[in-house]
Amino acid sequence: MPPRLNILGAGRSLAIRSRPSIASQQPRILNAVSRRGYADEKDQPPSGPNENVEGHVSEYEQEMSRITGGTKPDIGQGTPVQEILERDEEGKEKAPEVIKEEIDGSKASANDNLTTFANLLALGQMENIAAGGHGSDPVTVGHKYGIPQLPLASNLNFKRRYDPVVNQVTNLIMRHGKKSVAQRNMSFILNQLRTAPPPTPNPSRPLLPGSPPPSHLPLDPIGYLTLAIDSVAPLLRIRSQRGAAGGGAALQIPVPLGLQQRRRTAVQWILDAASKKKSRGSGKGQFAQRFADEIISVVEGKSGVWERRQLVHKTGTSARANLNYGVRGRRSL
Amino acid sequence: MASSNCWRCLSRPANASLLPLSRPSFSTTAFVAAAPKASTKAPARAKGEKTLRIKKKAFVKTGKPPAPGERKAMRKRIVLSNTNALEVAGMKDLDAEMVDSMVRGEDAVLDGALQSKGETHEDVVGKVVGLKGETVDSLRAVEAFKTTQGWGLFRRPGLLIREESVELCRRMTDAAANKKALRLVIDGEKGSGKSLMLLQAMATAFVKEWVVLNIPEAQELTNAVNDYTPVDGTKPTLWSQNTYTANWLGQIGKANNAVLQNTTMRKEYKLPIPVQSNISLARLCELGARDPDVAWPIFQAFWSEITNPGRRPVLICLDSLSNIMQTSSYRAPDYSLIHSHDLAIVRHFVNLLSRPTSGLPNGGAIIAATSRSHAPISKSMELAIKQSEEKAAQLRGWPGKVTQRDPFEKSYDERADKALQNVEVMRLKGLSKVEARGLMEYWAQSGVLRSRVDEETVAQKWALAGNGIVGEIQRGALWMRI
Repeated sequence: MPPRLNILGAGRSLAIRSRPSIASQQPRILNAVSRRGYADEKDQPPSGPNENVEGHVSEYEQEMSRITGGTKPDIGQGTPVQEILERDEEGKEKAPEVIKEEIDGSKASANDNLTTFANLLALGQMENIAAGGHGSDPVTVGHKYGIPQLPLASNLNFKRRYDPVVNQVTNLIMRHGKKSVAQRNMSFILNQLRTAPPPTPNPSRPLLPGSPPPSHLPLDPIGYLTLAIDSVAPLLRIRSQRGAAGGGAALQIPVPLGLQQRRRTAVQWILDAASKKKSRGSGKGQFAQRFADEIISVVEGKSGVWERRQLVHKTGTSARANLNYGVRGRRSL
Repeated sequence: MASSNCWRCLSRPANASLLPLSRPSFSTTAFVAAAPKASTKAPARAKGEKTLRIKKKAFVKTGKPPAPGERKAMRKRIVLSNTNALEVAGMKDLDAEMVDSMVRGEDAVLDGALQSKGETHEDVVGKVVGLKGETVDSLRAVEAFKTTQGWGLFRRPGLLIREESVELCRRMTDAAANKKALRLVIDGEKGSGKSLMLLQAMATAFVKEWVVLNIPEAQELTNAVNDYTPVDGTKPTLWSQNTYTANWLGQIGKANNAVLQNTTMRKEYKLPIPVQSNISLARLCELGARDPDVAWPIFQAFWSEITNPGRRPVLICLDSLSNIMQTSSYRAPDYSLIHSHDLAIVRHFVNLLSRPTSGLPNGGAIIAATSRSHAPISKSMELAIKQSEEKAAQLRGWPGKVTQRDPFEKSYDERADKALQNVEVMRLKGLSKVEARGLMEYWAQSGVLRSRVDEETVAQKWALAGNGIVGEIQRGALWMRI
């Protein structure tokens, strides 16, 4: 196919450019100095146009105090001009009138000598004590509550600020997109766990190894909830492969689950059990009450959810021969 | 409150067969006039016709259903203790001495004098104090605790002492000392602790052995759930709520038993039932509580007894004021709505609140709290509160003008305007950071708040709670409403 001829296209490659409005700062021809060899000098040559300058006054002062062993100024804060002028006789004479007046003492403020770092720190501690706190409370001069430690904690991202289990369960008990109602229910559940008497675990239904003693659970309701869900969460699910067992029968294949999926399954089972319960009272918190009761009965080993878990695990064990179904099946095709 | 039906009241009877207008046991209608009964049998189907029949599943009853009233009792249950929570070491109990020292400390600060030795109010502000067993019983009897408050999370009830509570304490004590009545409306944002300030006033009154009367929720008086009946010989008609009054008298007698059982009647009253002279006032309350029909006259006798010279000071409280600043839901026989101030108990309270001359010769306090979450909007009340605050500010040298009533507003209530003309207002703001810290430290010590309490966390919660609105701090930090 011959290339299409485009008459208009010919003009497009012809750019009409006006003179640049701002002349380039970089000289087109490098000056002689930059071509000098720096091999005999200790410092590396400056790479940019403005890098070969002294630090500003505070940086200079900090460097000096490092050498002389004096108090360093805080780089994070600007150094007041007055402080610099105190050491600089020449600068004092050339200072603007306003500052000269101030130096004369006619308008000197009482706070002038409070701005050093050590003073600010001490002041912050005293303020803490005055506000009813303790001197050991965090004080950072320059930032009101200090800079967070790096690496950042996992819950410092605002999307992950709450406990992951609480978050997941809240979303799972949400219906019709009403998250606020779900959150209210979650709060009710946690408070119910806090006020209910401590559970008595059943030794035949062991909880997660390393779980705290039951008497510690009510005061840690999030831990209580996590323990119940993680203890009853299944390790796997059963996938039914249709027609793979021959004769149209489904082949059951165990599939391992990730942490979120395990918890999700457990919560769904608990939700099923809770919704089948009968509420004993009336009012808003009835569902939450039943859910909390179910959590308690899970920890006490009374819940039917344990049977469901056992059934899944038993099926998984008996169907473990089918684990390599996918590999063999594909090869045989 | 359950209402027992009486012949005089206008409420709907529970048992319709008691009505004289019930259906007669015989009929004069001729049997022949009756329409022939439609045959219940379906018309015969044609041969070979098929119809879809779906059998409904029978409803299977499982377990024992809750007994009547059980579900409501569960909803209204007030739990004041959590055995899981830790006992807070070193928590002091609110007693008369502590109240005195709070007042003394306040005075010392006001005088600019050196503070007296021992405990001063500076020590108590921002601390949580416990309530003694008998105070708790009394407060429970007058229904001062509410289901929405978080009492059930702690080992035992405790109260945060804030600047405003010391102030209220001082003014109550002053009023009792000068034999004057403190008339106060407590207002503030939603969740700023108005009901708890009422509870605190009641707790203070109980430990100082005052007589306390409490109307826990004003809407129960005005939303037409109780029986009501006109009081004889009143013009315009006054309506008494007998069952409510009887129950109220019972509560008063039970809560103030310690004071009332040692107080005997002095005067003779014309009461509908024979009452022994010089019985104790506790016994009088019992008599009123037993029979709703005589409850209102007995309450009047009781009131005139406790306001006799030489008796204890009286505190009378009411929560959610705006409910009684408008027409009630009750109807007169001509089907017009009855104004709240025509209900006997409400009238009694409003008279005390509005009258500048003291209705309490032994001193005392009349305190009403507004409600900002579940209450009707009363334009008159809002205006009165605003004006009162502005007048108070002018006295302190504020240059602004007092707000005038809106000439285009129709929903002002004249009687409410008159009632709230010169009432004082106490506005509750957020907690200070010291108070917030004290509260959060108490939670942490009780084991229900699992986080470090330092300046940073306190400042966080304080700022997120709209500069220390205590209900919001509680919602975020305590209820784990996340």
